[in-house]
Amino acid sequence: MDFSLNEDNLLLRESARTFLEKEISLARLQVPGATVTDAGYAANWSKIVGLGWQGLVIDEAYDGLGLSCIELAMILGEMGRTLAPSPFLGTLFGTWALQKGGSDEQKKTILPGVAAGTTKLALAVAESSGTADGPCREARAHRHGGGYRLTGAKSFVIDGAAADWLVVAAHDDAAGRREFFLVDAGQAGVQADLLAWRDVTREVCDLRLKDAEGERLALQDDELWPWLRDRILFALATESAAGTQRVLEMTTDYAKERVAFGKPIGGYQAIKHSLADMLGRAECSTVGVLYAAWALSEEHPRASLAAAMAKAFACEAYVAAAHRSIQIFGAIGFTWEMVNHLYYKRARANAELFGSPRTQRARVIEMVEKKAA
Amino acid sequence: MDFELPAEDHPRRKPIRDWFESNPRPTPRQLAEAGFIVPHWPRPWGLEADAELQLIIDQEMKRAGAFPPRNPVAINNCAQSLLSHGTEAQRQRFLGPALSGEETWCMLFSEPSGGSDLSNLRTLARREGDHYVVRGHKIWTSLAHKAKVGVLVARTAPDLPKHKGLSQFLVDMDTPGIRIRPIIDMSGHENEYNEVFLEDVRIPADRLLGKEGEGWLLSTTQLQTERVALSRPGAIWGHGPSARELVEGLAEIGALDDGALRDEAADVYIEGEILRLLAYRSLSDRMNARTPGPEGAIHKMLAAPHGQRVVELAKRAQGPRGMIAGEKPFPTQLEHGDDPYSDWDYAFWFSPAVTLGVGTQEILKNVVAERMLGLPRELDPTAQLPWSEARRKAS
Repeated sequence: MDFSLNEDNLLLRESARTFLEKEISLARLQVPGATVTDAGYAANWSKIVGLGWQGLVIDEAYDGLGLSCIELAMILGEMGRTLAPSPFLGTLFGTWALQKGGSDEQKKTILPGVAAGTTKLALAVAESSGTADGPCREARAHRHGGGYRLTGAKSFVIDGAAADWLVVAAHDDAAGRREFFLVDAGQAGVQADLLAWRDVTREVCDLRLKDAEGERLALQDDELWPWLRDRILFALATESAAGTQRVLEMTTDYAKERVAFGKPIGGYQAIKHSLADMLGRAECSTVGVLYAAWALSEEHPRASLAAAMAKAFACEAYVAAAHRSIQIFGAIGFTWEMVNHLYYKRARANAELFGSPRTQRARVIEMVEKKAA
Repeated sequence: MDFELPAEDHPRRKPIRDWFESNPRPTPRQLAEAGFIVPHWPRPWGLEADAELQLIIDQEMKRAGAFPPRNPVAINNCAQSLLSHGTEAQRQRFLGPALSGEETWCMLFSEPSGGSDLSNLRTLARREGDHYVVRGHKIWTSLAHKAKVGVLVARTAPDLPKHKGLSQFLVDMDTPGIRIRPIIDMSGHENEYNEVFLEDVRIPADRLLGKEGEGWLLSTTQLQTERVALSRPGAIWGHGPSARELVEGLAEIGALDDGALRDEAADVYIEGEILRLLAYRSLSDRMNARTPGPEGAIHKMLAAPHGQRVVELAKRAQGPRGMIAGEKPFPTQLEHGDDPYSDWDYAFWFSPAVTLGVGTQEILKNVVAERMLGLPRELDPTAQLPWSEARRKAS
């Protein structure tokens, strides 16, 4: 029994932190009116590719590093901490989908390119209502020759506009259920429309598909999606827990420096208690995320529960902390020039994507009930 | 990283299990003599056990259905001070009966003039020959009405600053001049707390614990328990019902069909699971010889309100029936013998106490903010003044 990270984990996290602190700047986003196109998205990606993080969870057979969710949490956490704008998350989601659901042939075609940093991926699964849990009503696939043709719309696709290949969930007319398809993003029948997404550290788009060629993944929806969803929830929770920690640190530093009525505002109990609460929630988020990382890496029976709990708790704590941070900074924290709003917007976006905290709580209680029954 | 507790076939379990097999219904004295009550202590009291062995002993004791004696003040808080600061005669006289539970202890700390500002206490102990003579008034003393031994903190040097003039004594609770009055709290249950009046109580000088002036050091150390156990989050500081039991109970009575209540129950459940992990993590840090992170200090700050939420939700699910004294929220409510802590109704009406006792929630948050986050300390304008002068100024 050892709930702590080992030396290698800590080293990986430390090197990621050093790298991101040096290389990632949010300065261009702190200019009023900045959008994701100002975020250094592509430049950041080339730097990240230089370190090989995109190959972290890819099996060694496909030129990746074959590491677990625990190692991934070290990197994802640091990405979340710095809000580093880049197609990392979208590529990760696509990688997971292919790695679990793709045929050997599909994996051989795509994953080595991802590991090499020449291919970017995205996962298009959500409907316009935001739900990703199926059934799929807005995109359909029908057989055409040896493959499929996809038509319709997908919503809230993270890093979809930058992706070279897409993994798309669509209703398979022949099978009568949702399936996942590998789609070349470069073809004429695929159009990505960037959303005016409030979280400008992230690129999110809608997809329009018109007779786009696609190839079905080997694994069926009911086996792929639960596995994939656990990991997506874990990833968003990991970013959120680390973001909360960062918000706590910067707000604490500010409370020590900012003087009012002759003493630092951090000396007043209203501020102290607020930050003590934030610390408590931050620690809870961190331990919840690490437990989920461990459970996923072990394929533990409680992995789905752990991922849903982590998402519910960490995302809610992040929203609360980022909101509170704006209050503690005072009016300056409400301006575009500060980073506070960037954290708040990321927190809000993470909370809503792939099932809100409330949705996750509903899933948690269902799992607990089932186990008890 | 590994979130599993020591495995079922862990080799260190064997000798412990063997002991429980040959001692199927151990008396508290037998448990104490085997070193199982304070396994982390040196011999002959303990087994010099590391954190892992402590955890194994704790688990095996529960598995065997053996109950350690209920003497929390001695076992969890104060008796350790006799190892570090007591005399050999004190150890021989007090430790055996304390660990076996034959002599219950209580802590004579808080006073009516203020609980949070403990070091401002007014009970005076004046040296007279080979005795100290004590006058004062203590309050919120758990178990005083059952205790044989009181750990008293009193002021021996009123002209020193407040923290420096305190000393500790081991008092026989049947000494003439001690009068105990039960405090009936809002739960209406048999009293947990007492007021203790000390009128010219004569304590032999050899009952001084440590040296004069060490009272503050001893008291603060005693309030930080170091024992490793499988603590669980729940009502009554973890002794009462937990969120897992709450969800089972709510499911049983169909209360989870109410969407709002269902959502809240899930929220409390998740909080409970995460607090459990947090407690295990600080345990794991100690088992792996690492300094525990901030979770140790923040645990009570989080766990006490969590316990309140657990019982509050159960009470709410009862509707008006919840106002009937002793009414059970769940038909097959788990009750453990005559343990009042397993009673949901009692746990609810007791619950306001858990954010007051052993440091109010507000004081805890100050401590967390100051120690963990390095925020500026509250200045106590009386901290450096001679206590007697501060007292005069205040009145």
